[in-house]
Amino acid sequence: MKLITEIRYLLKKEMVLEWRSKYALNGILLYVVSTVFVCYLSFKTTPPLVWNALFWIIMLFAAINAITKSFVQESKGRLLYYYQIASPQAIIIAKIIYNMLLMILMSTIALFFYSIVFQNEVGDKLLYFAAVILGAISFSSVFTMISAIASKANNNGTLMAILSFPVIIPVIILIIKLSKNAMDGLDRSVSLDEIGVLTAINLIVITVSLLLFPYLWRD
Amino acid sequence: MSKNWWKITASVFVLYSVVTGLLLKVPMLPILHESIRNLYFHVPMWFAMIVIYTIAVVNSIRYLQTNDEKYDLIAVESVNTGLLFGFIGLLSGMIWANFTWGSPWPNDPKLNSAAIATLMYLAYTVLRSSLDEEQKRAKISAIYNIFAFPVMVVLLFVLPRLTDSLHPGNGGNPGFGAYDLDSNMRFVFYPAVLGWIGIAIWIMNIRFRIRKLENIKNQI
Amino acid sequence: MKKTVLFMIALISSFTVFAQNNGVEMAEELRSSGKIYVVVAVMLLLFTAFILYLFSIDRRLKKLEKGN
Repeated sequence: MKLITEIRYLLKKEMVLEWRSKYALNGILLYVVSTVFVCYLSFKTTPPLVWNALFWIIMLFAAINAITKSFVQESKGRLLYYYQIASPQAIIIAKIIYNMLLMILMSTIALFFYSIVFQNEVGDKLLYFAAVILGAISFSSVFTMISAIASKANNNGTLMAILSFPVIIPVIILIIKLSKNAMDGLDRSVSLDEIGVLTAINLIVITVSLLLFPYLWRD
Repeated sequence: MSKNWWKITASVFVLYSVVTGLLLKVPMLPILHESIRNLYFHVPMWFAMIVIYTIAVVNSIRYLQTNDEKYDLIAVESVNTGLLFGFIGLLSGMIWANFTWGSPWPNDPKLNSAAIATLMYLAYTVLRSSLDEEQKRAKISAIYNIFAFPVMVVLLFVLPRLTDSLHPGNGGNPGFGAYDLDSNMRFVFYPAVLGWIGIAIWIMNIRFRIRKLENIKNQI
Repeated sequence: MKKTVLFMIALISSFTVFAQNNGVEMAEELRSSGKIYVVVAVMLLLFTAFILYLFSIDRRLKKLEKGN
């Protein structure tokens, strides 16, 4: 029970801080919108395959930019404060949940804007949206732990990219396949495999993060 | 001498697989022809790599539990040896693929997965080199190693099964069993796998001992 | 020990039994002329050298470890 109250408290704290500065929200939103616009200006129209891949590449980089900040840009003082008030498990869960919410919001807005600017037929709109949500969740669960690891190592962004790409590629392969199925309007039972494996990856990654984060935190 | 028994066994297995792998009869299959014998040499590289990466992750876990530097050294040398076998496996596979599938890098999920897994462990070495302080380096790289391992398992064992692949045993293709049921291939293949796993562990062991000596020397 | 020897003999005797040609081209010529044994000898030599080399490194390491 103590864990849940701690998580709640940290989550609220995180949101209040974000709401005060609106740094991540505005910054990432602007990043996504301008990337989409640049892509629109350079592509004009795209075949469906490119449309899908492009969207996920934009989302991938937006996610890296957004989530790197979750540990790397924390000040020493605030980390010390967290250390005193909460257990490491509570901190990592709160961070993962917060990043998930942030990414879900971000990718919903991005999808909305993207599909307005780029005209494209999507066969199964609901499944595509589900794929986007699932993608946002997977990105945040993987990147949160990597960001924690990278923040301990000289805080540079290059390391974050190097460490996260090999881990995220299987996720991205699955998501692109899932969303392609949705675009082609295939029967939903076809996509069950991908959804199952994605959920499994998420569960594994979150469990491993929970087990490992305490070691990373104690320093 | 009694301590060396596994090294000798591994050597005998490898030598046995070289002789029988070239001489024993193999099933006559179109496209593959005699190149099916590569099975005895190319596939064991992957088995050795996976076993050695598993050793790395086990030692990373042991390091986090005990904080004993020894386990960190075993883990890093396992990754180095695993990378060696991964590269050999990739290159030998490319030569074979060029002959049977028409190009050195056919868009095959197993190839891509293997390349990504190799990237993952290269990232591990980059992470290590970016950290200076020994204890911190050992701890953080152990954490990354454990974090990356389950993803690698998904990458190598689950993803290729979901998509069509040229490799046997994936995407509805028959597994090895279909080829070697009617032949003696098993009597060569399994010893070859065991032998190469032994050789890989041996190389890792040698590297680990060299590194330990270097560490002692550096401390003085 | 006896069993393994018997097994080896059984294996060796099966070397010479090649399946009948069923349209798939195999390197029969290489085998019938006996040139395959040249390849086997070379490969065997290379791998034996490799393994002996590993053993020699192992031995030198052991000496170093004893010195410390």
